Amino acid sequence: MNKTLLGYVPDASFIYLVHPTIKVLFLLVVSLFPMFISAVEWNVGLMVGLMALTVASRVNMRTLKIYIPVAVSMGMIILLSYTVLGGRHPDYQVITRIFGFPLYWERIRDALVVYFRILPMILTMVFFLSTTREREIIAALRAVRTPFVVTYVLAMSMRAAGMVMEDFRIVRQAEQARGFDSKNKPLPYKIRKYVMYMVPLFALSLRRSEEFTNALVARGYSFRSKVKRPDYILSRYRFAWWDGALGVVIAALFALLLVARYRFGRFTVEDSVLLRYLHTILIPGGGA
Amino acid sequence: MSSPAIQVTDYSWKYLHSTTRAIKNIELIVQPGECLGLIGSNGSGKTTLCNSIDGLIPGQYHGIKEGRVEVFGTEVEEYRRGELQRTVGLVFSDPEAQFTAMTVEDELVFGMENLGLSISEINRRLEWVCDLADLSPLLDKPPYEISGGQKQRVALAAMLAMQPRVLILDEPTAMLDPVSRERVFAVLARLRKEREITMILIEHSLEHIIPLADRMVLLSNGRKLHEAPTRTFFSDLSLLRQEGIHLPGAVGFSGYLRESGATTDEPAISVEEAAQQARNLRGAAKGELS
Repeated sequence: MNKTLLGYVPDASFIYLVHPTIKVLFLLVVSLFPMFISAVEWNVGLMVGLMALTVASRVNMRTLKIYIPVAVSMGMIILLSYTVLGGRHPDYQVITRIFGFPLYWERIRDALVVYFRILPMILTMVFFLSTTREREIIAALRAVRTPFVVTYVLAMSMRAAGMVMEDFRIVRQAEQARGFDSKNKPLPYKIRKYVMYMVPLFALSLRRSEEFTNALVARGYSFRSKVKRPDYILSRYRFAWWDGALGVVIAALFALLLVARYRFGRFTVEDSVLLRYLHTILIPGGGA
Repeated sequence: MSSPAIQVTDYSWKYLHSTTRAIKNIELIVQPGECLGLIGSNGSGKTTLCNSIDGLIPGQYHGIKEGRVEVFGTEVEEYRRGELQRTVGLVFSDPEAQFTAMTVEDELVFGMENLGLSISEINRRLEWVCDLADLSPLLDKPPYEISGGQKQRVALAAMLAMQPRVLILDEPTAMLDPVSRERVFAVLARLRKEREITMILIEHSLEHIIPLADRMVLLSNGRKLHEAPTRTFFSDLSLLRQEGIHLPGAVGFSGYLRESGATTDEPAISVEEAAQQARNLRGAAKGELS
């Protein structure tokens, strides 16, 4: 098992054959796909494809369960903001009225379009984080000649997040051991007393900064060094023919999507079979 | 004759905003290939002295320096930035504080990359340190997710991979359990056998430092109180006891025999030697009785 940013993936997964740069390209480009797709069924199809990739990569699907409540609550929020808080539109088609509030077809349609745009974006990110290690992000950035200092600062930021969380846990346990615990206390109290955690955490951060600087100096690192670094990490990831092929496929799909959308007017709301079907159900005999 | 690996001459250091000097008029010479054991209670100036040899002082700290600290004949301040660290490697007591990378493998190669070594040379040295410190199974793991003992072996190996001519270990096992401590010292013992490396070892557990050190130095309140070859160092234990140094059982036992006049043998510095002294005494007693 290898630890990825969101979980663990078995050593045997095909995902390790893919160069990190292609993974980052996948994230950046595929997460843009839904922006150009309004037809719900296509975004659902994209989600199915992403789920299939996640399963094929041997990601433990149980770890993804935690996103279900998030997805459901996000859907509810979007639906409520588009319908109940969506305002009055005399020219829209009314499906029904709830306590006097009109429920418009257009607002439900828009809510569905937005929701099914966001879901594949999140799923793309979840797929990327579930199958990518911190080190691969650094390797991807180095592969495209990002300056070492930039990638290093990014890497250290990722690492620092974990360290701060660990320090926070220690500080909290130490304060709990001395009888200070904000658990089960009202939120204003928690916020007020948060400074009790912040002060030692800040002091710890200062100490860590000093130690870290010393470690960098002790390892012979200098921002002004003229030594050419050999970039060992790149020697661990080699571009294979399939990486090139995958890159071309991703770029070609994106190009096709843009052409289909803007040249032939596909993937639009009007083009959506599912929305048309839903419309006929909700407003029998009504025009779209 | 070649110059000493380290020569400290009338060296004093006072941290900014501190009222007293952390190091006071220290004189010290360490020859190439020698292993020096540095002991003393907390606040005695051991870490300050080591940081001074690695150039962290005055490089990273503000204060007042007097005297000279030379590494292979050159004053540490005269080394170009990053140059001294190619010669002197420093391993800190808190391994986590010195990690600079996302995986053990990256951690081990970070210093070598800074030296500008070729990929093939990095791979060669990586193989060597992995074998030396038994780290191969850990290469893919994040360094902050392994055990304390493994962390310290990684920190040590990362420094060894840079192949410094001088290695300073500042309480490398302070945060480790006895088993992990044994493993770190086993690595150091193997290193001493395989390579001629100058070593300064700060450690509170004397039973581990004694088998490695050629010479011992006792610091107290920033001053050098006592310096001698390891065995001679333990010939007078009163000073060590006075300074609160916790003596290993074998050394204490041998010292007791010597102080009580039961033996005039040299101080024993291992369990085996102390046992031999006891056997000798028993034999002598039997001889007297018969």
